[in-house]
Amino acid sequence: MTAHRILIIDDELDFGTTLAERLELRGFVAKAVGGAEEAMAALAADWRPDVVLLDLMMPGVDGLTTLDLIKQHDSRIQVIILTGHGSTESGIIGMQRGLFDYLMKPVDIGELIVRIKEAGAR
Amino acid sequence: MSKNPAPVSKWSLFCGLSSKELCPRGRYKCMRNSLLLVMLAITLIPLSITSGLNFIQYQQLLREESQANARWNAESAKATISAYLEKLEAAITVVIDTYSFEDLSDGKKLEHIFRQLKKEHKGLVDLSVVGPDGIQSAYVGPYGLTGRDYSDSLWFHKALTRRMYVSEVFTGFRNVPHFVVAASKKDPYSEHYWVLRASIDTETLDRFLALADTETLEDIFLVNDSGILQSSSRYQGRAMDNFQLTRKPKQNDILIFEEMRGDSSFYRAVSRIQNTPWLLILDQQGAEARKIWHSFKVRLLLTLGLCFLVVGGMVVWLSRFLAGKFREADEMRDVILSETEHSNKLASIGRLAAGVAHEINNPLAIIGEKAGLMQDLLGVEQDFRYREKFLDQLGSLQDAVVRARTITHRLLGFARRMETSLTLIQLNEILQEVLSFLEKDATYRNIHVILQLQENLPVIRADHGQLQQVFLNVINNAIDAIRNDGEIHITSRRENNKTVMVAISDTGPGIAPEILQNIFEPFFTTKGNEERKGTGLGLSITYGLVQKMGGKIEVSSEVGVGTTFIITFPVYYEDKSHDSA
Repeated sequence: MTAHRILIIDDELDFGTTLAERLELRGFVAKAVGGAEEAMAALAADWRPDVVLLDLMMPGVDGLTTLDLIKQHDSRIQVIILTGHGSTESGIIGMQRGLFDYLMKPVDIGELIVRIKEAGAR
Repeated sequence: MSKNPAPVSKWSLFCGLSSKELCPRGRYKCMRNSLLLVMLAITLIPLSITSGLNFIQYQQLLREESQANARWNAESAKATISAYLEKLEAAITVVIDTYSFEDLSDGKKLEHIFRQLKKEHKGLVDLSVVGPDGIQSAYVGPYGLTGRDYSDSLWFHKALTRRMYVSEVFTGFRNVPHFVVAASKKDPYSEHYWVLRASIDTETLDRFLALADTETLEDIFLVNDSGILQSSSRYQGRAMDNFQLTRKPKQNDILIFEEMRGDSSFYRAVSRIQNTPWLLILDQQGAEARKIWHSFKVRLLLTLGLCFLVVGGMVVWLSRFLAGKFREADEMRDVILSETEHSNKLASIGRLAAGVAHEINNPLAIIGEKAGLMQDLLGVEQDFRYREKFLDQLGSLQDAVVRARTITHRLLGFARRMETSLTLIQLNEILQEVLSFLEKDATYRNIHVILQLQENLPVIRADHGQLQQVFLNVINNAIDAIRNDGEIHITSRRENNKTVMVAISDTGPGIAPEILQNIFEPFFTTKGNEERKGTGLGLSITYGLVQKMGGKIEVSSEVGVGTTFIITFPVYYEDKSHDSA
């Protein structure tokens, strides 16, 4: 079984890179980018992730718009929102747009991995 | 900068309403008194004016009626006396025209005629014939006055000059008050005038005057122009007494004017009796002395008093009621203002809390991830000298992150229920939304969610976010209660025309009765384990939110079987008249 490829999109790059490093230690292939443009560039460069961990509040293109862009690019990519600015409403809106799950920062790594695996298995 | 003082009513009575120096209780007392006085004035002044006008009008009416009665009674009495005199005069005329002086000077014939006349004319005392020389030639009567000389008597001379004469009342030779009706005739042989005289006592006049007496008549009597009573009077004395008459009528008019006797007034009617020297005086009771007037005054005062009592009572009640209602409305307004202010404060606090929580979450996540990475690396590196000590420190750091996360999540939960925006909502849609949010967790724990949602459920009016929060809390509680492996049954249906309900049942361990009765109390929690420790606010917030939306939340539970929450909301109708449909 090949390792899941994880793309972390978060304007807090320090958070993204640290989380990517932790996921890699657990056998995932992870990459952190700072926003929607870099994420779309990675996708265009044929770096196709299985699961995207997406922040909601980002400068420029926000998380829900980025979700739409990713789903337009490849609807099979599963997206988990991982945000510090979450709300029930934004979670439900995301679900309606094809979001796989919605988690609030800071998240327990164990819980996150369970959700990533569930998403990756879909 | 000085502030302008609040405008104060110019009327001292109402100044208390806007006076800030008065306590609220004092202001409502002032309002109640003001209402009382205004309403009393509005109701009782017109009532008093109407009663006063009624009083004056009825008094005027009674006065006019008393005057009319006085006129009518005077005319009636005058007509009675005139008729008596005319009848007597006619009889005397017949006698004097039928018989000569010589015939009537015959005592027997005169006595026969006297007896005949007395049958017809009661009060006739005697009948006599007086010759041209003034010597009474014949007399029939009780006084034996034959041969008396009347040549110096006024009545004799008046009778000679007139065909018929009625005298004033005088005492004469008999020394008893009487008057005479005398007729004169010229003897065809001697061509001298002789006189036939009839005397009538004053009691006859009294009897005729008494016929006019009524309940409202005070006095009736006769008087001559010289002020000598010609008949008995109830108040003025007997015949021949003096009486001062202030006003006299002209010719045959009836003069009516008001006079006072003691404290009471009366109407005096004065009229001349034609072809006599008499004035008829009739005193009629004044309007104010009549029984009907007293009766009217008593009834008017009783009615007025009763109206004052009833209206006064109603006004007192109404002023208290209205002041009470004003106070209630003001208190309600104050409560609403206070609640609005409180809500605004809470909303501001909520926004601030949400902002703080969001901003803290990101650095907290970095700290957590950095500490986590360090733990991961230490897990790989077995030879590091201080490995155990570092792992302990990093474990404490992660615990602190978890504690901080609990606080920020709690703050966000608090913030979420602050903002309210009411929209029309389909309950089934909200349930589906919330379930889509929770189904991952449920699936992860092997909990089956079984839905029985009634189609075409009526809409309710509520805040979308708050309603999500309500179902999220209750369903989350159900998941937490089951922990792993179980079922959650969610049912929605229309209860009646007015309400829709949602029932959420779980197959958890159930809740003991002593816990169940406190379940909606703030800070009451049963979630003991550290990992998922509850704040004790979830169900309390849910209860408050449901109540705020006009709904009702009830819980029933059986230990070992499970727990059911039933949430009811009022159906929204655009046209409120459908409420009773």
